[in-house]
Amino acid sequence: MPGKDFAAHKYVDGRGVFYLFPALCKGCGLCLEKCPVDTIGWTERTGFLGTSTPAPGFGDPCIACRLCEFVCPDCAIRIDKIAPDKTRVH
Amino acid sequence: MPRSWATENKPHRFCPGCGHPLALKALGEAVDDLDIQGRVIFGCDIGCSLLAWDFFNLDSVQTHHGRTIPVMVGMKRARPGLICVAYMGDGGGYAIGAQHLVSAALRHEQITVLLANNSIYAMTGGQMAPTTLPGQKTETTPFGRDPEKTGRPTRGPEMARLLGGEGVYAARGTVANVRQLKNYVKKALRHQMEGRGFSFVEALSTCPTNWRTGAAETWEWVEKKMPAEFPLGEFGGDAPDGRASRPESVLREGGGEG
Ligand SMILES: Cc1ncc(C[n+]2csc(CCOP(=O)(O)OP(=O)(O)O)c2C)c(N)n1
Ligand code: SF4
Ligand code: SF4
Ligand code: SF4
Ligand SMILES: [Mg+2]
Repeated sequence: MPGKDFAAHKYVDGRGVFYLFPALCKGCGLCLEKCPVDTIGWTERTGFLGTSTPAPGFGDPCIACRLCEFVCPDCAIRIDKIAPDKTRVH
Repeated sequence: MPRSWATENKPHRFCPGCGHPLALKALGEAVDDLDIQGRVIFGCDIGCSLLAWDFFNLDSVQTHHGRTIPVMVGMKRARPGLICVAYMGDGGGYAIGAQHLVSAALRHEQITVLLANNSIYAMTGGQMAPTTLPGQKTETTPFGRDPEKTGRPTRGPEMARLLGGEGVYAARGTVANVRQLKNYVKKALRHQMEGRGFSFVEALSTCPTNWRTGAAETWEWVEKKMPAEFPLGEFGGDAPDGRASRPESVLREGGGEG
């Protein structure tokens, strides 16, 4: 399928890599309200409508639950889980 | 993004925070999981559902208000190998096109209906719909819907199951839980593919534009207020022994005292 390429803002926070696609985000805020650790907040970087875009780093570390990705009506978020570092000795 | 979504025309046309694209995400993921993209026909209604006429990489058709069910029924009868999905709003399904929903359920038409219930006529600016909640303010109920005068909200899946009985798969999910909604849509599609009869899934959906809600209040509406009036779950049709997968008492519960 010939697809469009969407460039992303990339943020690393807690267990997750948070990709935000400004060409899709409409600034609705649904993701902010759903995050269980309240890590999502508004940035000064804007989306295609001129609205603020969200990013992690405003609360407790991201637990990579992907809820923000599931609830985004515009598919403007992708979360990649950071694999736990198995070499670390606790 | 689901594989069956067309990426070329994204961002889509729905308002910020709209529930329609979440219902269509559930449908898209269900189509992907079942690997049926080449066999599905997608029909959308008038109302905001029409904004999805080019949403998918699926053969799509946009019909008159409330008429998407008969259009899909015609296609299914002509080409039984196709998987026909009618997508509409609560106004299109329960008011303007109610007779088609009733007939399709009674006749066990082998199609799947997905209906986004946002408790309002959204596209025309927010008038009362059959699903408007008691007390909800709309353009035509400025003091809130009075059930004494206008009755209780319509419960579609319960109605479809009562009309069609066994052979009807009916369920109500919510855009607040896309994973559960996707599972209901998959069961509905399988119901059609296995020739078991009519399948109907309602999705509780959001309309921040006409509800005039911010994000927190939008979630409050769809997660708390709406399920209080519209219970989530399945209303029969999928259990292998043919029995309802939820107690029949749910179907008889009716609309409360109102
Ligand atoms: C036969 C007919 N009656 C009325 C209209 C006007 N009309 C267009 S959209 C709409 C309301 C749609 O509401 P709903 O089906 O709930 O969809 P929503 O926009 O809320 O998603 C109405 C009444 C019409 N187009 N055709
Ligand atoms: S839910 Fe999606 S569109 Fe809405 S603010 Fe978050 S990323 Fe943007
Ligand atoms: S993945 Fe979960 S924890 Fe991380 S930002 Fe999204 S909602 Fe918050
Ligand atoms: S008016 Fe409401 S239902 Fe229609 S696109 Fe906007 S938010 Fe969605
Ligand atoms: Mg509606």
